[in-house]
Amino acid sequence: MENKEVRIKLEHISKKFKIGTKKKESFLGKILNLTLGVESKKEFFVLNDVSFEVKAGEIIGIIGKNGAGKSTLLRVIAGIYTSDSGILKTNGRVVYLSGFGSGLKTKLTMAENIFLIGSLMGLSQKDLRNKFDEIVEFSGLKEYVNTKVYQFSDGMVSRLNFSIGIHCLLHKNPEILLIDEVFGGGGDIDFQKKAIAKMEELIKCGASVIIVSHSLDTIKKYCDKALLLEKGKIVLEDVPERVVGSYLIR
Amino acid sequence: MIKGSYNKLKGILGLSLSLAKAQFKLRNEGSYLGIFWYLLDPLFMFLILLFLRNVLTNKSVEYYPAYLFLGLIMFNLFRHGTISSTKVISSNSGFIKTMNVNKESFVISGLLQAIFSHLFEIIILISLMIYLNISLFGLLFYPFIFGLLVIFILGFSFILSTLGVYINDLANVWSVFVNLLWFSTPIYYVATKGNIHFLNKINPLFYFIDSARDSLIYGTFSSFDNWIIMITISLVFLLIGLIIFYKNKNKFAELA
Repeated sequence: MENKEVRIKLEHISKKFKIGTKKKESFLGKILNLTLGVESKKEFFVLNDVSFEVKAGEIIGIIGKNGAGKSTLLRVIAGIYTSDSGILKTNGRVVYLSGFGSGLKTKLTMAENIFLIGSLMGLSQKDLRNKFDEIVEFSGLKEYVNTKVYQFSDGMVSRLNFSIGIHCLLHKNPEILLIDEVFGGGGDIDFQKKAIAKMEELIKCGASVIIVSHSLDTIKKYCDKALLLEKGKIVLEDVPERVVGSYLIR
Repeated sequence: MIKGSYNKLKGILGLSLSLAKAQFKLRNEGSYLGIFWYLLDPLFMFLILLFLRNVLTNKSVEYYPAYLFLGLIMFNLFRHGTISSTKVISSNSGFIKTMNVNKESFVISGLLQAIFSHLFEIIILISLMIYLNISLFGLLFYPFIFGLLVIFILGFSFILSTLGVYINDLANVWSVFVNLLWFSTPIYYVATKGNIHFLNKINPLFYFIDSARDSLIYGTFSSFDNWIIMITISLVFLLIGLIIFYKNKNKFAELA
């Protein structure tokens, strides 16, 4: 591990969220704010002086209670949020994955959805046409390609979501993969198995991976190292077994 | 460096187009009249204003139907483009919070839809011009005026989409402003002096509509001053819009 390049490096990253006591987001409210002075806002640290690094091919797990700052940390690394202080260096294509299927339009057909979600995930129309058959095949919904998604059962929807998401990710071949609370794809047992095999393929293809999960078994099974996050701080960094053990007695 | 920004621009435009396509399909979903809805709204407005012609304006205008319709559809482009931009970031917050997408695409896709309906309206305009025996030669100049108008609206949309993140009810406020703007633009009337004329002069849309009428309907090349004003307005607005948008876009994920 020593000579491998560092893909993600965080040095003293901090992030504050401001929470207003009263919501004043209307047009009139803003004007009142200007004339009466801005109301005081409560600030708190979501991330407080976080430093660690991830090398190529390494899989890191992050555990912690709700609100510990796990998702915020991933979003900062992904560039969706910006940190208030500290230095973040990432080297390679970053993909942030939080659940499959945030954007299916139920009034569009399955084929139209594949093109829509695929282009949101950054694939060109040409790439999508090449991938189309594979996505349909994997989802096992071949006969419903031209059916509108609102007529799908929940299981079918999650299979479609997973299939689009995973194939687009594999196509982008990310060097840095940030997985937020997703492992597997819903659906029945058979699909679940297929989905987990696909996920394993994804995380083992040499990318640096950070997994945030409440499933401690997942962390233990796949990760080389784990971090325990509490109130925005890293309180423990060790092999997964020990971190999980420590988390359970807290 | 140049190749990088070229690819980025290509990515942004490609995504904008896909989004606009999906929106277009969603809008016409399960509707028998389909794309005719795009035309019905301006057509009815046109017919009503034409019917009220003698009440609304006492001047006789040559080729009044074309004069009215061109003003109407250019204003509509502005109206639809800007109104859709006020809510575009918050209505796509699901994507913005979870994916590192180019946020410009959401703004551009709204404008693309407005442009799409505008193209249909242009077809009606052409039939109207043929009916009124107006030479179609002036149409050659329209792409330039249209291009500048689109740049102007795009700049405006960037400003509004950023403000919309901070101000929840901007859409309501903006539609009131658009109505004010509607009456201060010479769409169904002509003003050559007085307060109204002054109001027209400080309204950016006036210059675009005026130039388009000059070249399309009356076959005269619009004055040099008009062109300078149009170019300046559109570039200045685009610049301001881009600056405001880029200064704030990193905060969208937290606020939307």
